[in-house]
Amino acid sequence: MSSDPAAHQSRHPTLKQYVGIAIFLFVVTLVEFLIILPEDFRGQGWTIAPLVILSAIKFAAVIFFYMHLKFDNRLLTWIFLGGLALGFAVTMALVGLFGTFTPSPRSYAAANAVAFVHETEGSGGHHETAAAHEPTAETETAEPAPASEVQPAEPAAAPAGGGLVDLGRSIFITGTGEGVATACVTCHTIEGMPEAIGLLGPDLTHIGTEAGTRQAGVSAEDYIVESIKNPESFVAEGIERATPGLMTTAITSGLTDADIEALTAFLLEQK
Amino acid sequence: MAHHAETGHPTGHAPAVHAEEQTTTGINHRKLLMWVFLSSDCLFFGSLIATYMVYRGQSLVGPYPVDIIDVPITTISTFVLLCSSFAMVRALAATNEDNQGKIQFWLLMTAFLGAIFIGFQVYEFNLFRAEGLRIDTNLFGATFFTLTGFHGAHVTLGIVWLVALFFVARKGRLGPRTALDVEMAGLYWHFVDIVWIVIFTLLYLIGGFDTGPSATISIDPSVLGFL
Ligand code: HEC
Repeated sequence: MSSDPAAHQSRHPTLKQYVGIAIFLFVVTLVEFLIILPEDFRGQGWTIAPLVILSAIKFAAVIFFYMHLKFDNRLLTWIFLGGLALGFAVTMALVGLFGTFTPSPRSYAAANAVAFVHETEGSGGHHETAAAHEPTAETETAEPAPASEVQPAEPAAAPAGGGLVDLGRSIFITGTGEGVATACVTCHTIEGMPEAIGLLGPDLTHIGTEAGTRQAGVSAEDYIVESIKNPESFVAEGIERATPGLMTTAITSGLTDADIEALTAFLLEQK
Repeated sequence: MAHHAETGHPTGHAPAVHAEEQTTTGINHRKLLMWVFLSSDCLFFGSLIATYMVYRGQSLVGPYPVDIIDVPITTISTFVLLCSSFAMVRALAATNEDNQGKIQFWLLMTAFLGAIFIGFQVYEFNLFRAEGLRIDTNLFGATFFTLTGFHGAHVTLGIVWLVALFFVARKGRLGPRTALDVEMAGLYWHFVDIVWIVIFTLLYLIGGFDTGPSATISIDPSVLGFL
């Protein structure tokens, strides 16, 4: 009787059930897709729970019906779920070990990552790799790769100050003018500037205006010059990431007065 | 499930090699082995997924996921793979019904849909390469290509298996008594499908919008119970 087709078949879902499950899987996948369709929802933390739950439901539907674990010897269910649980545990252990439950970038990555600019030629792929940075090490590394990439990216962006502002921008990115410093972008962010995404120092997006408000009686220009020449002399309060002592004279002492003038002109433009 | 006589009462169908044999577990050895293999494959993919998650958001150079991942296209290929799973269950049902024409049709259909999925993947990989993401470009490229590449290899192997079964079917050798041959290929095929369900969710729907490390990726630790 066991080899009687009919008896054998009763261990499998009927065609109707199969069609039902197929439709169900379709709908669930569609819902998942709709969850991330609105631009504002994409990559949001709250989407994770529904997406994971929905796919877990799909997962269960496939193993219990399509793979008919539900209708089969219980032992098979335990064997499979055992391996699954073990795989899950390994994943969680590794993720936990590396502290990536909250995958904020490790400080090295945060400080050194370079934003991606699509290339127009479409077949490249070498520039990005070449731009991998060396550590921000004491050796004041000049970083020529991004600089050469950047110049064409923002051609018309230089207003009033003209050449000086451009020079300042380049020093800000590479740390190299007449003298050498650690690239400012390693620690500072300026919005709209793909290279300047450092997270260790204050956001300098609006430093051109803010600098005038930091210290009573000190003009924006003087404040910026002072911040670069004698970074330790004054640490503004109430600014995010204004970690005292992180920006030291060691970083900037290699710069010449002309470099600082250019940097100041550039930063004053960041209003 | 013992009442389904998997423990095997010799029924006089002696030549029916594939009918239930007597085993200590009551489960056919080949089927048991298949499930043990699939169980171990969970660990294989588990570690690749873990690697992806550990390095998520840590790449120093682009392209980052948000720069190149195309969720709509991959949603389509996900649909295709789901369809192929449906075709697979139809193939097994046809085998149990001994409907020779249908066995061949659905086996070939399953393989065909699997091949379309692989086609999407080849297209995607080539596009990514053209946009500057190779396996050695950054941590994202390394973990992404390794994980999805091994999944693609699984699918490809499944296609070979299904096509082989199709030729067996053409010789009329598949039917209720040899249904286990189809069932095992089916188990493997559905497994590859569920692995994709996980990959699609983690790498595309959730991780597909990751930017570079400068922008903070926020995961609320409280939801991680589900991951
Ligand atoms: C090692 C990281 C680091 C580097 C490299 C660095 N800075 Fe800073 N910077 C900081 C930190 C931290 C502060 C806030 C504490 C302070 O004022 O000393 C700061 C403060 C500043 C300020 C004052 C900001 C404010 O809002 O008051 C300016 C201007 C500035 N930096 C400019 C530069 C320039 C120009 C360079 C490149 C020559 C540079 N920084 C390189 C970390 C850095």
